[in-house]
Amino acid sequence: MNLRLLTALFLVFGLLLTAAPTTGYAQVQTGADQVILTQSRLQHIIDRHWSDSTAAGAGKFQTGITVDTLRDMINEAVHNGRARHNTHGRPGTIYEYDFQRQIGTTIDGGPATRLRVVVSNRNEVITAFPF
Amino acid sequence: MHLDYRLKEDSGTDWASVTEEDLRYRVALGNLIFHVGNKDFSAAWEWIPLIDLAASFTEIVRKLEGGSASETFEFTESDASVRFERKADKVLVSTSYVEGVGEIALRSVSEAVKSFRERLWSELVTKHPQAAHNAAVRKLLGAAHVSD
Repeated sequence: MNLRLLTALFLVFGLLLTAAPTTGYAQVQTGADQVILTQSRLQHIIDRHWSDSTAAGAGKFQTGITVDTLRDMINEAVHNGRARHNTHGRPGTIYEYDFQRQIGTTIDGGPATRLRVVVSNRNEVITAFPF
Repeated sequence: MHLDYRLKEDSGTDWASVTEEDLRYRVALGNLIFHVGNKDFSAAWEWIPLIDLAASFTEIVRKLEGGSASETFEFTESDASVRFERKADKVLVSTSYVEGVGEIALRSVSEAVKSFRERLWSELVTKHPQAAHNAAVRKLLGAAHVSD
């Protein structure tokens, strides 16, 4: 394969990775990989896991964590975290990452330092929460 | 063993088009009622995806019956979990959110999970007839053999 063809392939691949998202979608760049956080999935996370959420039995993010911060945290967890297959037939992959600092609270109110991100087989974030 | 559920009212779901991912994470939410002996492992969190729970528990029973020594169910929106540990014909049940261990015959677990799955199917298709024709619902509730 000559150098010109190789360069062209790199350019096409790069364009595919950085293509502008459609309305309502936000890309989370993860180096070679990327996951997509749709508006509806973001709303799911806010409803269930934001600091002012009243949902029982669910980890909560610390007050002050913004949508941009969340995207960065998801990015870091997917890029650097431990990955495993989702369990008992559920689709997708689970990423877990320990930020070594408090990012929220666990279901019993204790400090949570870890983030779990569930990503579908289409590379879309399904949910994300501290634990 | 008492395994039951309370389904939250849901009028916004299009049961003809829901996907497996929807059913695993976002649809048919409710509470788990779960007693093993004198231990109450119920979870009244209102967001538990009950079809996912039925499918996951069914898979867990299948694995335990197939010789697996232990299986763990992870809830979808927290690190809470239920652990099933097989000891001969018995199963020890424990959770991360309630202290204690319950003991039950494996056959009883299997029957309770089957009953749970069938009751959930029955309630869903009564309330939402379109659910009966959704392939993902039929797959997860093991109802593909049920005549319409």
